[in-house]
Parts: sequence; structure tokens; C-alpha cells
Amino acid sequence: MSQLAPIICDNGTGYSKIGFAGNSDPSFVFPTAIATRGSPTQSSRAPAVPSKPGHLASKRGVEDLDFFIGDEALANARTPGYGVHYPIRHGMIDNWDHMERYWEQVIFKYLRAEPEDHYFLLTEPPLNPPENREQTAEIFFESFNIKGLYIAVQAVLALAASWTSPRVMDRTLTGTVIDSGDGVTHVIPCAEGYVIGSAIKHIPIAGRDITQFVLNLLRERGETTATPPEDQLKIASKVKENYSYVCQDIVKEFRKYDAEPYKYFERFEGEHSVTGRQYSIDVGYERFLAPEIFFNPEIYSSDFLTPLPDIVDDVIQQSPIDVRRGLYKNIVLSGGSTMFQHFGNRLKRDLKQLVDRRLDASVLASGSTSKSSGVEVDVISHKRQRYAVWFGGSLLADLPEFYTSCHTKAQYDEIGPSICRRYQIFGSATQ
Amino acid sequence: MILLEAHNVIIKTTLADKLNKPSTLEVSFVDYDGVRFRLSTPERKTLLLLSMHIRCWDELVKYGALDVLRREYGSLLRDQAEAGFNVSMEIDLEQVPAGAEDREAFINSIALFKRNALAAPFEQGFKNQKELEAANAGQGELMQIHYRDEEAIYIQAADDRVTVIFSTVFRDETDRILGKVFLQEFVDARRLPALQNAPQVLYSNRDPPLEIRHLNLPKSEDIGYVTFVLFPRHFSNSSVTATTISHVQLFRDYLHYHIKCSKAYMHSRMRHRAAEFQKVLNRAKQENTSTEKKTVSGRTMVAR
Amino acid sequence: MSNVLRPYLAAVRSTLTAALTLENFSSQVVERHNKPEVETGGSKEVLLNPLIISRNENERVLIESSINSIRLSIKIKQADEIERILCHKFTRFMMQRAENFIVLRRKPVPGYDISFLITNTHSETMLKHKIVDFIIQFMEEVDREISEMKLSLNARARIVAETYLAAIAT
Repeated sequence: MSQLAPIICDNGTGYSKIGFAGNSDPSFVFPTAIATRGSPTQSSRAPAVPSKPGHLASKRGVEDLDFFIGDEALANARTPGYGVHYPIRHGMIDNWDHMERYWEQVIFKYLRAEPEDHYFLLTEPPLNPPENREQTAEIFFESFNIKGLYIAVQAVLALAASWTSPRVMDRTLTGTVIDSGDGVTHVIPCAEGYVIGSAIKHIPIAGRDITQFVLNLLRERGETTATPPEDQLKIASKVKENYSYVCQDIVKEFRKYDAEPYKYFERFEGEHSVTGRQYSIDVGYERFLAPEIFFNPEIYSSDFLTPLPDIVDDVIQQSPIDVRRGLYKNIVLSGGSTMFQHFGNRLKRDLKQLVDRRLDASVLASGSTSKSSGVEVDVISHKRQRYAVWFGGSLLADLPEFYTSCHTKAQYDEIGPSICRRYQIFGSATQ
Repeated sequence: MILLEAHNVIIKTTLADKLNKPSTLEVSFVDYDGVRFRLSTPERKTLLLLSMHIRCWDELVKYGALDVLRREYGSLLRDQAEAGFNVSMEIDLEQVPAGAEDREAFINSIALFKRNALAAPFEQGFKNQKELEAANAGQGELMQIHYRDEEAIYIQAADDRVTVIFSTVFRDETDRILGKVFLQEFVDARRLPALQNAPQVLYSNRDPPLEIRHLNLPKSEDIGYVTFVLFPRHFSNSSVTATTISHVQLFRDYLHYHIKCSKAYMHSRMRHRAAEFQKVLNRAKQENTSTEKKTVSGRTMVAR
Repeated sequence: MSNVLRPYLAAVRSTLTAALTLENFSSQVVERHNKPEVETGGSKEVLLNPLIISRNENERVLIESSINSIRLSIKIKQADEIERILCHKFTRFMMQRAENFIVLRRKPVPGYDISFLITNTHSETMLKHKIVDFIIQFMEEVDREISEMKLSLNARARIVAETYLAAIAT
């Protein structure tokens, strides 16, 4: 019988993306949330175990099975007796008890897979401590008896996902990943499948901030008077997702809008979530201003002022000199907040300008007549950007090499959790 | 979640989703016991093709799976299965019942695709029992369903009962021991007054029960046999029959699910206990009283 | 604590306290090395006689002492195969995290379930009687934890079986 498809599990801070290898989209995307009995204020440490073990403890039954995950967890957030927890913080697993039960239900309730028959591909953030990998391996091999496990770094999977873009010629795992989700944006350089940890940079601007910024703009113009206050954030995020794009020149764009407002202003129709009353608002400059906060952060925040292209340039300049060309040539976007139209083009243009200016300056400074051949800068956008990490996993796990790169149950039983400290890349053409 | 559900969640959510917003689709997924599914839109957006591959399909057909599926899905079932799969059905999204309730029921019935296919031998067994009872004759045919590589279900009807035997193999030492504890409780549970009506459960390790002894099955310490004795009251009417079948066919998955849950529970206990021990040990650590002394300019003072 | 257990633990406690007289001692075999002598066993003259305190045939403690380190190994009670597997799981779980439990050894001495290694550095940087407290408390609670896990496993199995059968018994 042919082998059953490996399971790809990308657990992010906000959302988990879960599905089977070979598919182009995850089967489930739901919040990484778990609703358990007991109040959320109670300390996160194992409420399942009574602090004073006594006779009653043994009589306790299966309370630890009484929980919900994902959307059901949020739906039950208000049910008396339940408290919602988020077991992952800043990309890393914070509460192992909750995470173990979360996985339990993912496998048995949602995927309906017998873990003994499947290989698993999990993801981890860059700079994840190896102890976390060991604990993950302990859970998956000992509790679930899975056949084999591969833990991949998210950024590397995002690079792999870009192989589907028609513009990518060679399947390389060298490149810079810009991963922008809901909470934070990371810029991660990778050389041949390994993350250059010292050069990683984070930007405190991501999806949530863009939504807030759109809301601010709408408020300032007075559009929000017609809308119900409780729905405003939702409207702002709809506007962001459906109408926004990145412009090439902000001043020109303003002029264009002022010359022909009827052509560029859009109208957003909404319905009150409770009463069902209809309303509509105008969508104007925020269409191009929203993603602009990546390129001109000063229009939104006064704390963080470095534009994204500068950060990317910094990151690459801090990486070892022999990979810099590869990093400039292959800048890959991943995550929902990089989905704006023309985002890639704008980033490429700005970055190219920075690089060229530096080259010119160094030619001038050295006073030599020989001229540099230039540095190729390219930003790759592709169709699978939103769930790029998951998709990269699905792509890699579908390769025949996947099975030989996995840590198997037999190896685990022989050596122990420390096998997961070893990390083997595969699938790249330049290996 | 204590009991496992009978329907497939992916089929259910995907169908509900596509009814609202049809789009092209191609997705493969699985269900318990190595069942593979593929859901795709080969021709147009509103025509879904759902294919299923079951390891023991030939055996199921022999015991009337096609009849059961035809009864449940009628014309949806395609004559020719998609390549690589055993059975396919076509769902035309434009012809799905309109009412919210009908729609829900329709989606649910599709999501029970695997359950219905696997229900055939059970239904056959129940039918045989009725016939045998009328004829007052001994035993019916022994049906074998090899639903996993090393494990099988055996169903045999007699004039007053239907016997269902699961052979179980535990590959892992821990699982084998925990499994034994669980199975022993299944045997003992019937002593409870509230469960007098439950099917009788027997468990034997190593030696197969009488009904299948003649099959010359391999003997090993890892193999156990669980026998469910279903009496006519467990399939007296259609709704009772349906719940009985749904639960009995998921027995192995239920057992393994709970073995895994108890291991997860023990993990959380051990984490808690280890943290407690850590606290005790931390008490032994001396407080670092000799803090570094620094001058105003930031230089460290060193004892001479 | 039951009355039968108390003398056993008291014996372990006093032996351990007595054995915890460690001093800094450089290796006599390799220059500028300082190793726990009980582990290397290189020079016989710095090793003391090992000692076994035994409660019954299934439960015993082995204390091996030397000039700069002592090794304490525990054999935990295992009445049946369930307790055996639980004990194995629990000790392995602890040893996996040996880094945090400074005095815990990553592997037990053959014939025992879990071992601790206390060196002179440990006895100098940590409070000696608190280390002893930790080991005694560990011995005290590990038995209880294992029997509790066994009970809860049985309770779970019962609920699981009853729920399943109740769903069919209509």
C-alpha cells in the first residue's frame, strides 16, 4: 500500500496551519488557542494535577479531556468554567501541557489520523532552543508514537515555498525571508538552509498595526460616524485586506486621488453584526497609505522609524560577505501582511536604490576607474505567500528524500530525544 | 472529548465551505485505519468528486458495502471509481437541498462515507442473525475484514447473538501494558448495574478465541483479541443499530486515542512533579550574597 | 509517611549526611585534572567502601563515596509491569532534564533506576543538609507519585470503558 501522506503542522503564535503533504492549502487554519476548565487567571502550571495529592486525586477522572481548541475554544471563551489559553508565545511553546493536549485534539479530532501511521513535519521559529526540540520530540514519539519526525525552521520552509514561483530558476535555500504575520515582522537571512542567527532583525510593525492605522485614518476623516463602534476594527481589517495596495510614489498618488476622486475612491458596504442595519463608508487614501507604514514608519509610529528596505539592507550587510549576493538576489515574502499588491516591486526598487547608492559612493571614495558590475536585487512574490511556511512544508514533505531525512521512531528509541538536535536540510538543488 | 466522532471533519467543513463559495479544489486527506480520501473538482467548480481508498475494500464489497453505499447515496455514487481509489461519488453543489436543516443532514451523510462503507459487514451480520434465529440454526459465515496491516475484525452471527472480534497488535511496549489495563476495564465494566445491557466484552491475550481458532493465526505476546458479543437488543431498531455500528467500528481508534491521552496526562503530571522537585532543590542553592562591588567609573573591586 | 518507611529513610539520611564530607581533590593520575573520583575510579586509595541500605529485595539504595564525590543510586519499588513502565517513564523524564537538577546523573548505575552524583563543588556551593532533604523527599514522593499514577490510570481506564459501553447500551 502506498504510504499515507505526512502531516504538516505549523503552529504559529496566532494561528495554526495544519494539513497533509502534497496539498496546496492547509486543511485547517484556526487559532492556536485552547479552552480548558479552570479560570485563565490560574497559573498556567498543570492545573490537572492537584497541588496536594491525596486520595481524591486518584478518583479524579478524565477532566483533562474536557477542553476545546481552535475556533471552538474561542466560541467557548464565555462559557462559565472555561478559560482560554494561548500555549505559544512569540513563536515558541510556552505551556507544554496545553500544547500537548492541543496536538492531541488536532490529530484525533480534526485530522482523524492514527499518528502511528504518519510522518510529521513541524515548524519552529529561528533561534529556537534545542531543548524545545527535544521536548517536542519527547511528546511526539512517546505520547503519540509517530513514525517519524522532521522539525524545520519556518524561514527555510518559506524559501522552499518560493520555488513554485515561475521566476525562480534554481531551487536554492539561500535567501532573505521577510515574514510578516499579525504580531511582528521578521527579516531572516538563510544560507543554504541554515539561518544566520546573528543577523536576524525584528520590526514591531505587522498586520495588527496596519489595521489600527487604517482605523485611525478612517476616524480622522469622520467615516466612522456611520458605523457601529464594535465593528470598527473588523471594518478596518476588511478595508485593509480588500482595497489596499502599495503605490510607487506617495505624492503622485495623492494628486491622482485629488484629480479624480470618483475614479479612485471606493465604497465599502457593511452590515451591523447585531441589528443587520446596512451602512457604507468611503475608502480613500488609506488604500495606499496602509502598507506605506512599512516604507515610511513615521506616518504611524514615533518609536520605530527605520523603513523596511533599510532593515533588509542592514540584515544582509551583517551577514557573511560570501552569501550577500545570494541574499540580495532571493528575497522571499511570507505571511499575510506581505500580500499587498506591488509590495514586492516597491521593496525591490527601494532596496536597489540603497545598494546602487552605496556602490556609487564606494567607487567615488576609492577613486578608481574600474566600476562594479552591480548587485542583483530581486524580491520574489508568489501565489502561496499567505501560508508560505505551511506550503513549503507540504512541498518538502512530498519529496522522496523527506523520509530519509526524518528522525524515525526506531532512532528515537535507540538514542533518545537528543537526535532532534541534528538538523538536516534536503531538497535543494544546490546542496 | 471522550468519544470519537463518526464523521470526517474535513469533508464536513470543506463541503459547507464550498456550498457557500464554490471554487476549484484538489485536496487529499485521510481518516482512521489508513483510509485515504481525495476531494477534487475535475470538471467545474460546482461538481465535487469525492474518492475513497480503503485497504480492505474487496472484503467489504463481498459483504455488501456497495449496496449500503448505494442505499445511502443513491445516484451520487459513480459506477467507475477514480484511478487509485476504490469508490467515488459526485456531489453537484447546485442540486444540494436548499433548506438549512436538509443541507446540514446532507453534509453529515456525506461526511459518514467511510463509516457507511465499513458498516456493511456489521449490517450483514445482523441480518444473518435474524435469519438464523428464524431457522433456529447454528452459526453463520465468519466474515474477516483486514482493515489494517496486522489487525483484523472478525464478525460472526449465531442464532442469538453476533460476535465481533478485534485482533489488536501493540507495537510499543508501553502501549501494550497500558492497553492491557484499559482492556481489562472493558471486561470488568459490565459488572456495573447501569451497564447490564451493554455488550459483553471478552479479552484474551495470545490465544485467539474459539470462533477464529481454526484460522491458524500467528501467536505472539503482542497480539490480543477483544470479543464483543452483541445481542439482538443492540440492533433492535435502525437508530440503535446505527449507534452500535458507529461505536464498535471505531473501537480500536478509541482505545488507542485514550492510551495516547493517558500518556499525555502522565506527561503533564510528571512535568508538574519535576517542577516541584526543582523547587525543593532550589532551596539548597545558596543565595549569592557576595555581589560584585563596583566603583563609580564601573571598575570591579577585587579582594586582595 | 508510613511507619515502615521511616527507619529506612532515616538510615539513608544519616548515611548520606555522614558521607557528605567532601574536599577538593586533584586527580593523581592526570595532571591538572579534577574529576569525581567515584566515577573515574582511577586511584583505589581515595575510594571508600560502597554501602547498600536495603528495605526489601525490591527497594534499596547504593551509596558509593570517595574523597571528592559520592554517588547515590536508588532502586524504586516496582510491583508489577505497570509500575515498572511508569517508573521507567518517570525516571527517564527526570534524567532528560538532568541539566536543571544539578546533582542528577544522566544515566543510572546498572541495576538501579536513578542515580545522583554529588561532588565537592556541589557541597560547597549548595547547602548540604538541603541536598540531603532533596534526595530524601525525592525518595519519599517518587513511590507515591508512581502509585498515584497507577491509580489514576486505572480510574481513567474505567471511565473510558464505561463511557464507551454506555454509548452502546441503550
